[in-house]
Amino acid sequence: MTLRWATHYAGLVLVCAGSLITIANAQQSPGPTTVVQLTGLAGVKDNAKGTLSVENGNLHFAHGKTGSDVSTTSIEDVVTGGDSQETVGKTIGTLSMAAPYGSGRVLSLFRTKIDTLTIRYRDSEGGLHGAIFTMPVGKADVIKKELVANGAHSTAAEPSAASTSASPSSQEERKQ
Amino acid sequence: MKRILTSAIRMGMVALVFAACPLFARPGEPTKIRARAIQVEMIQSDEVSMPAEFQISLYENLIHQLEKQGFQHVYREGDRNAASSTDLVVLHSTVRRFKQGSERARQVTTVAGATSITVHCQFSSPDGATILERDVNGKVRFFGGNLKATYDFAKKAARVAHENISTPEHE
Repeated sequence: MTLRWATHYAGLVLVCAGSLITIANAQQSPGPTTVVQLTGLAGVKDNAKGTLSVENGNLHFAHGKTGSDVSTTSIEDVVTGGDSQETVGKTIGTLSMAAPYGSGRVLSLFRTKIDTLTIRYRDSEGGLHGAIFTMPVGKADVIKKELVANGAHSTAAEPSAASTSASPSSQEERKQ
Repeated sequence: MKRILTSAIRMGMVALVFAACPLFARPGEPTKIRARAIQVEMIQSDEVSMPAEFQISLYENLIHQLEKQGFQHVYREGDRNAASSTDLVVLHSTVRRFKQGSERARQVTTVAGATSITVHCQFSSPDGATILERDVNGKVRFFGGNLKATYDFAKKAARVAHENISTPEHE
């Protein structure tokens, strides 16, 4: 009986340790992040899906075979935020509105949280640009830290541990 | 005698035509400001708290919509080329009111959760003299995310520019 409990306990510890290692690895090696570029990057269409990474002092957005680079030193401000989007796609969401007795609206209740990353940067002529990206939760802060480490500026103060734990829910409440 | 009478009638008709010309003019139509280029300054929201993505979205959408209005150049804030441009108008925008709604509430209830933005737009000459001032609002009531209100504002602001500024394309 004791052996059985010990086996169960060991298994549980192994599962917990495995998941912790996975989370730690994910935080250590950010790599390219799948994002949606809402607007702002020169030469990239609005709402373009692609990957975002910080490499060689540039914020690199890859979309299909094309790419767009913004020098991190030209970035004047980086701001992260939170938002939410429909769990089902836009097309299904719109089609579901036609369901009888408004039953399709139930789908609208299911939303997933997303992060937003907003940057302000200058082009070679000094013109001010802005770009907005959305990405899975937890990715925006990682990219922001990388950008700041590579010379980007940020006017927003780093949130403290207490405010970090409080902010996502408050932001979500604010933005839904 | 007949020739003199004919000439007098002709002269009278010509005089009548000239006299009637002012009647065809449209007195209600305002005089348009002439400009070849416009410089868009970053949207200011010092008085009203607004998320950064809304501020950037307002700015970028405004530039995109103004580019469709026939200006030879639409300069961004800080663009060095604007200094050498002739017939330049500078657009300063300040957020006066901002109410962030909820996309979920809009989709579920249809009547609640609207997002609305009111922006004070000031068109001025490069030396700072105000040419035109308007309050323009942007809203999203039914479909779309909250940022769609910024697109609505940009379209309306570009329409104000189109109605009041004469660009080379429209001359």
